[in-house]
Amino acid sequence: MNKTARKYESAALADEGYWTSVSQAIRQEAVRLLEQGAVAGVVGYIAGRRTGTAMPVVAATPDQAKELIFSPACVNNLALYLTKAKKEVRAKGKLAIVAKGCDLRALAGLLGESQLKREDVYIIGIACAGVYGAHADRSQPLCDATIARKCRECTVREPTDTDLVAGTLPALPALEPLEAQELARLEAMTPQERWAFWKEHFSRCIRCLACRQICPFCFCEQCLCDRNRPQSVETTPRPAGNTAWHIVRAMHLAGRCGGCAECERVCPMDIPLNLLNRKMAKELKELYDYEAGLTPQEKGPLTEYKEDDDESFIK
Amino acid sequence: MSRIGVFVCHCGENISRTVDVEKVAAEAGRLFGVAYTCDYKYMCSDPGQNLLKKAVAEHKLEGIVVAACSPRMHEKTFRNAAKAAGVNPFLCEMANIREHCSWVHEDRDEATAKAIDIVTMMVERVKRNKKLQPITVPVTKKALIIGGGIAGIQSALDIADSGHQVVLVEREPSIGGHMAQLSETFPTLDCSQCIMTPKMVDVVNHPNITLHTYAEIEAVEGYIGNFQVKVRKKARSVDMAKCTGCGVCMAKCPQKKIPNSFDKNLGFRPAIYVPFPQAVPNTPVIDRENCTWFKTGKCGVCQKVCGPGAVDYTQEDEIVVEQVGAVVVATGFQLYDIGPKPAGSAIEGYGEFGYGTIPDVIDGLTFERLASASGPTGGKIVRPSDGAEPKSVVFVQCVGSRAREKGISYCSKICCMYTAKHTMLYKHKVHDGQAYVFFMDARTPGKGYDEFWRRSIEEEEAVYIRGMVSRLYQKGDKVVVMGSDVHIGVQVEIEADLVVLATAVQPREGADTLAQKLGISYDKYHFYSEAHAKLRPVECATAGIYLAGACQGPKDIPDTVSQASAAAAKVMTLFARNELEREPIVAKVNERFCVGCLACRKVCPYGAVEEKEIRDRSGNLIKVVAYVNPGVCGGCGTCQATCPSKSVELDGYTDEQIMAMIEAL
Repeated sequence: MNKTARKYESAALADEGYWTSVSQAIRQEAVRLLEQGAVAGVVGYIAGRRTGTAMPVVAATPDQAKELIFSPACVNNLALYLTKAKKEVRAKGKLAIVAKGCDLRALAGLLGESQLKREDVYIIGIACAGVYGAHADRSQPLCDATIARKCRECTVREPTDTDLVAGTLPALPALEPLEAQELARLEAMTPQERWAFWKEHFSRCIRCLACRQICPFCFCEQCLCDRNRPQSVETTPRPAGNTAWHIVRAMHLAGRCGGCAECERVCPMDIPLNLLNRKMAKELKELYDYEAGLTPQEKGPLTEYKEDDDESFIK
Repeated sequence: MSRIGVFVCHCGENISRTVDVEKVAAEAGRLFGVAYTCDYKYMCSDPGQNLLKKAVAEHKLEGIVVAACSPRMHEKTFRNAAKAAGVNPFLCEMANIREHCSWVHEDRDEATAKAIDIVTMMVERVKRNKKLQPITVPVTKKALIIGGGIAGIQSALDIADSGHQVVLVEREPSIGGHMAQLSETFPTLDCSQCIMTPKMVDVVNHPNITLHTYAEIEAVEGYIGNFQVKVRKKARSVDMAKCTGCGVCMAKCPQKKIPNSFDKNLGFRPAIYVPFPQAVPNTPVIDRENCTWFKTGKCGVCQKVCGPGAVDYTQEDEIVVEQVGAVVVATGFQLYDIGPKPAGSAIEGYGEFGYGTIPDVIDGLTFERLASASGPTGGKIVRPSDGAEPKSVVFVQCVGSRAREKGISYCSKICCMYTAKHTMLYKHKVHDGQAYVFFMDARTPGKGYDEFWRRSIEEEEAVYIRGMVSRLYQKGDKVVVMGSDVHIGVQVEIEADLVVLATAVQPREGADTLAQKLGISYDKYHFYSEAHAKLRPVECATAGIYLAGACQGPKDIPDTVSQASAAAAKVMTLFARNELEREPIVAKVNERFCVGCLACRKVCPYGAVEEKEIRDRSGNLIKVVAYVNPGVCGGCGTCQATCPSKSVELDGYTDEQIMAMIEAL
């Protein structure tokens, strides 16, 4: 990755009015839902203590709902709070959720995997201009220099199948697709070079498993990688176990991951995890013309048998 | 478990030729937990099994590894022996050192090393095996027969006569199949209709047989003893309960020029029709593609003339669900067509024979219809082109069959005999005519068969020319046959009035699709595969499904009937029991860790996975998990491979066992 060669623009991608109007629309709907008792809580964001930050919240009263915001700092994938891994949230009853395109793709996946029923959740979709990247300078507005890499080539800015859409999308300039470029660079490597690339990255992994904890699809009650009878994956941060963990993670997300890149954002070692996710997604697109998370699917390509499946790989 | 016995088999010389069995036994004895080892020439024999039983008693063995052949061959044998010796049969496993080792390797040292590895892995697996108890499932004593030709009819009658219910499904509007189309049958020349139609009537009158004609198999689910079959009954447009079979509708139908496929398109039929006068059931169907009412919405003559008001244009396809315990597949054959084949097909047509465009070049079944008293010509043999009586007829054998260059290497088995029969039928009807036969070999293995063939030459004066035909072409009103006579080494040219091709027997179109619905295997030509070529010729590898007739391979009528009765006997054997024991190798869900993503349900090919709600004592839902119905589970392990959290495992093949096997290497 060549970080010095390119100059990034610092002009704001969306004006202040856009963020305000989205925030207002969310608040208005959240207050209405809570006042009417239609939901037990609204999963959304409130401003963080420091400027330029935000954090997830479950607003349970109309007063709390008045604090809800939407800003470029609203990076978290809130779908996480609806998985079984967060039972205390679900136990409150029917919930509303503020969902960006990324969150929606995860929600569609959860619906398809029997983790959620559509009637149990009220979705406030956001016409999303994008959010900050992991190391963005948050004193700047959302701009070419600060926007997350995944947002540069987002295809799900306009939400679909939601109960409400908050805000209208401003006109956005086309941004250079850095992830796609990186993926192309990776694909151009020889297998040996690619192996060396990942080996280097995986060797730095400290197995904090933040990538697992943040992932809306890692909802297993006991992760395969925590089991010890038999132990499939070595638990200490050593190269063999690290590689096994990342391969298991990539395989388990193939055909499911919606590309929210939360794993990459939370990784303290800056391992380009979303690159691996994107590669798997690209394979599925090319092999089966399948994109995860666009609609809730009963069966994905990896769990379905069709009579006309490609069998050319059987020699 | 720590007292394991390892029994190494020589399999005559099959294993000991390439594997040092004594060394395998000695090495196995050094493994932790192995209490006894030995080797023996034939472990599966009576003394071999006694050896095993004696060792269990003497050495207090708690687990058994038999290093011999494939478990598909003798697992049951040794598990029974283990059971007899007082060991839970599922603590006995086979280490396959024959198919997986001695048969596929040549180097003795390497093969021996591999055999030791295989045995070591199995010892590790047996250490972790659990005592399992067989699962019993009820048997639905009702059989499904697919195909209403002579094979299906014979099976249906045999099973029904034994007192069990039978459902017979036939694709065409009438049962009877190919045999109903034949004129006479070899080697006795008795009339096919005379011996076939009474059986057809028996079927329709039998109290134990439910007949679905003009119907196809939509879907099959379940397993031996408990199949659930969806049958699509195509819209007949005639109410079977009301129709009396008077035939007025057929007589009055203004559409009369539709080629009759039963007569190989030699004659015509109306749009509302029965395929042939002796059809069973004698209820017409409306051919919606050719019916004026269905094409234009006008006409309605049949409805007007029908006395009982049986004609119903609004009838729709109906899905009938049948619960059955066994399935007999008897879908029969079709004849190879010499026309051009689609690109990419492994089988080629015959351009040198005009791709079927010469009108006086016909196939054997067309000749049968010409010779049949109930055929379009009333049994008079004439040429399709001008209706003249052919004075010279050339029969060509092995068209398509035994022609590797054309894509089919097998012998169609029946052509030699029916061609001999054709020459006789021809001579009996055209006394001054001359029959010529081009043949490669005459294959007549059967009771009275060779005598029959000799008779066609010696008494009926057919001229047999050993050699192939290279080209057929039209010259004036004759068809020129260019061939060779390899006995005298000359090229032969015959100007014939009619040419009859003995075209290859092929499985029915769509045989592969049906096999996929049933979950049975088929060969590259789409003939269905029997479980064992010699010892289990009428059973499929899929339990509870049996084969009868030409769908399994080319067969004549006597063989077909024998196989059909054999399949019926197998079904009766199954139905003699009220319950079946099933192997308890089934998947179990760890409900503690299952999060109910139900990926297992998506991939399960048996439909064995259900949702299960776990509730606390006051009835509050705690969570939803997957549940595997042990009666339905086929033990394939796909769920285990799919489950992201490894919360479902197959007994006998747990991850722990597989890992232990790998680590033992």
